[in-house]
Amino acid sequence: MAEKKVRVLLGTRKGAYVVESDSKRKSWRVGQVESPGREVFHVTSDPRHPGHLYAAINDWMFGPIVKRSTNWGKTWEEITTPLMPATQERKPEFDTSGGEVQRPKHAITNLWHFEPGHADEPETLFLGVDPHMLFRSDDLGKSWVAVDSINNHSTKTDWGPGAGGPCMHTILIDPKDRRRMYVGMSAAGTFRSENGGKSWTAANKGVETPFLPHKYPEVGQCVHHVVLDPANPDTAYRQDHGGMYVSHDRMANWERIGKSIPTFKQFEDDFGFAVASAPALPGRAFFVPLEGRSRVTVQGGLQVFEWNDTKRSWRALMTATKIPGNYGVHREGMNTDALDPAGIYVGTTTGQLVLSPDAGKSWSQVPFQFPGIHSVHVVSPS
Amino acid sequence: MLEVRLDAWMRELGVRDVERLDASNVKELLDELERRYPRLRLKLRDETGGLRRYVRVFVDGEDAGRGDGTAVPLSGVHTVDILHSIAGG
Repeated sequence: MAEKKVRVLLGTRKGAYVVESDSKRKSWRVGQVESPGREVFHVTSDPRHPGHLYAAINDWMFGPIVKRSTNWGKTWEEITTPLMPATQERKPEFDTSGGEVQRPKHAITNLWHFEPGHADEPETLFLGVDPHMLFRSDDLGKSWVAVDSINNHSTKTDWGPGAGGPCMHTILIDPKDRRRMYVGMSAAGTFRSENGGKSWTAANKGVETPFLPHKYPEVGQCVHHVVLDPANPDTAYRQDHGGMYVSHDRMANWERIGKSIPTFKQFEDDFGFAVASAPALPGRAFFVPLEGRSRVTVQGGLQVFEWNDTKRSWRALMTATKIPGNYGVHREGMNTDALDPAGIYVGTTTGQLVLSPDAGKSWSQVPFQFPGIHSVHVVSPS
Repeated sequence: MLEVRLDAWMRELGVRDVERLDASNVKELLDELERRYPRLRLKLRDETGGLRRYVRVFVDGEDAGRGDGTAVPLSGVHTVDILHSIAGG
């Protein structure tokens, strides 16, 4: 039976939400919160199994918890959480005063990102965690195996933690070739596999590291988020600590595009966390510029810019006067639907869910105060 | 026999507020609790066997401490409290 609802899945500081509308995307119904009071870094859906949702929960009391719903979030069950192999030891971390942060040396701290496998592998799931590890399940989460080819990569000695910890937060699978995968880690950068994860190549050429003495190292970039172009997955759009980038060759080379975004002139900065692309708008990518030091929106209001990769130009979809305020937007805080015109959804770290149902022509806000939003994932009608 | 008092946070995992059991140290006590309540597995201890950051074990009122706290012997002990420390916001 065809699904007619648009569902926005939110991972927040205090639980997971499913927010529903129809294809007009005018009125919204907020469902009951799942895992109230718990940090939910990511909620996503599995398009191969309609109705299946996964939540990456990081509870301050009980630790990492994986939950699944098979009925669009009406009920949830706890499933197997991956465990860090005893042979894997996390690197020491240091606070700003130089003191070592005391963490268990052999335990997973946080779950960051779920990625359903390719359509040809309907039982496969991937999960990125802190510290810097990828796990794979080939039985829909009954069991997990650490992907040692990336977890013990030869460049690992040069990986560092980002401000959110040493996390694997981005996992991408080429829809046209299941053997081609990408992962993104803070602060290690992006890596590409051409053989289904058997081996990995660092993919950061051209991405600057303003926080390291060497401007263009092979690894160590603090990638914040990456998305593939919906029509041409050889093209990728990247929001990095070191700016906004595009790649046209499967991340082999990156070109910085953020220096021409209109806000760059004032701030000499193209910082941000979120980037998104939309199936109805191939060749475009959406960015939310933030001020690099304060990590909040520039010029006193939420702004969304569109990069047109064909025209090689920027366009403001939302200017700072529309929704004034100093907002934060996390790396998974922006997503799109698959409708035409495309819907664009932005969740803020202070709990506003802002959306455009018409590719950025108009914007509105869901009339509900959510906890701070970590992740936004939109499921479109089938 | 030990009296083990468990805080209200653990109620959602199906545990009772008081359990009675025999154990020679904290690790054995936690093993037995997890045997009785499988949902407790990985909730009080991580995969290394260490206590999670906000879990506190008090042995006759004395903090068992971090790190090797699970090795604290329970010979002659009457009461063990398992609590979650105040944190968050």
